Amino acid sequence: MLGRQRLIRYLVGADLKRTHADTAFGQLWWVIDPLLQMAVYVVLVQVIFQRKTPDYPLFIFAAILPWKWFSTTLSDATSSVVNRQALIRQVQFPKVVLPVAAITAGTLSFLIGLIALGIVYLFYLDRLSPWVLLIPVIGVVQYVFTLALGILLAAVDTFYRDVQNILRHILRLWFYLSPALYSIGEATAGGNSPVRALLRLNPFGPLFESYRAVIYSETSPDWIGLLVVLLVSLVLLGIALAVFKRVEPAFARIL
Amino acid sequence: MAARVAPKPNVLAQSAPMPSPSTRPPAIAVHELGIRYNLRLTRRTTLKDSLPGLVRRDDGVPKHFWALRNVTFRLEHGESLAVIGPNGAGKSTLLLALAGILEPSEGFVETDGRVSTLLTLGAGFESELSGRDNIDLVAAFLGIDHREMAALTPSIIEFADIGQFIDAPVKTYSTGMKARLGFAIATAITPDILLLDEVLGTGDQTFRAKSQTRIRELVGKAKAIVLVTHDLTYVTEFCNRAILIERGTIVREGEPQEIVDLYRTRVEERKLLAEAKARSVASTASA
Repeated sequence: MLGRQRLIRYLVGADLKRTHADTAFGQLWWVIDPLLQMAVYVVLVQVIFQRKTPDYPLFIFAAILPWKWFSTTLSDATSSVVNRQALIRQVQFPKVVLPVAAITAGTLSFLIGLIALGIVYLFYLDRLSPWVLLIPVIGVVQYVFTLALGILLAAVDTFYRDVQNILRHILRLWFYLSPALYSIGEATAGGNSPVRALLRLNPFGPLFESYRAVIYSETSPDWIGLLVVLLVSLVLLGIALAVFKRVEPAFARIL
Repeated sequence: MAARVAPKPNVLAQSAPMPSPSTRPPAIAVHELGIRYNLRLTRRTTLKDSLPGLVRRDDGVPKHFWALRNVTFRLEHGESLAVIGPNGAGKSTLLLALAGILEPSEGFVETDGRVSTLLTLGAGFESELSGRDNIDLVAAFLGIDHREMAALTPSIIEFADIGQFIDAPVKTYSTGMKARLGFAIATAITPDILLLDEVLGTGDQTFRAKSQTRIRELVGKAKAIVLVTHDLTYVTEFCNRAILIERGTIVREGEPQEIVDLYRTRVEERKLLAEAKARSVASTASA
């Protein structure tokens, strides 16, 4: 993989050019998409369920943006090897660049999506604090976690295409089981400890809470939670790379 | 040749007999090569198909298929080898193994020098990228150093005859333009070991003539050639040795003319056998 940064860079460039290339708004969709998604949840939660969280649009936007990054890049990474099957049967190259490039391309689009965050902030300027400068730090933790999971799923998907289909539903459930539309405090208000434990086990517990802390609550992120997620992700990444390397020779044979 | 991955000796097993340091290693050494496909996992597997197999292992269906088995040969520098045989004999699988794309299930393949690509025309192109960017992308996939490729790019563009379209997205190209660009990239690098699966013929009459000339150039420059073809005239024209493969194993190795004659006889025999069988089936059916 080292020495192939150039290949990864070209693949990332191709990926960014390909996405939304056929639409009238083009790359602008990176900004419009999360804003529309936020609007949908605002209607659902505030209008229909009548919840009274102050500045709710900013509250959920702090979760929508990183989740969109996670879910799109994970799906892209999962199918990245299978999508290149014609090439894999003709050229010998380290296949791990494919999921890595897919996830890196998604990361760049996340950075573009931060423009949308700027737009939302125009309405909630009083909640803007220097803490937002820590978004990249939280992003790095999420990147490592996504990388580990994406490399693993890309390998499994080569053998079982079912993964792509199952993943869609798992991702949706995962989103609702993460403190995105609500905070951990709200979900466990009744002293419901199993739910609290579940939310704590979920890497997106600390991740979402940290994003929300720096974007919405003007406080420091959950440092300990982030550190735990980072360490677990690094271990998972090591396992994912080992598994990928182990099954890689079989790719050309089964695709 | 920095950053190039393929040229290092492709050692895939430790049992290789080490050549004495004074003699040059052969261009290609293949020893007891076997390539096995796992039929349970091949092509569009879903969990539903493989679950019964995971639970119950012995259902009479063969789990494996040996596309190649016990294949052994050496090719010295300066030699060119033709591989002939009926469809499905394992010829293309052999090329994939020589190119390092398929790892041996048993035995080993060693190559000495830069092995050519098996890239067919236009595979790996990104339709949103310009022709120029696609040259870079494909080169990066092939592991060709980007400085080397930058030096080659003008001649690729000229050979492909794309003109100013080279900076337009590939999705605007005609099929012929894509094929020409693909061919120009795939043949831009002069390999030490040239692998040819059929002789590439592409595009209109003029380009086909041009591409034949380019292939002949590569054949002239390469230090070793392996050619897989159905066109038996190429075998005697280009090659000084030939092997006949049937059902994944080498039937005979020898002079091109001898092997071509053997192949022709066996094809004839098989045809007569099939006709006789058809006749006997027809007579039993009518009786």
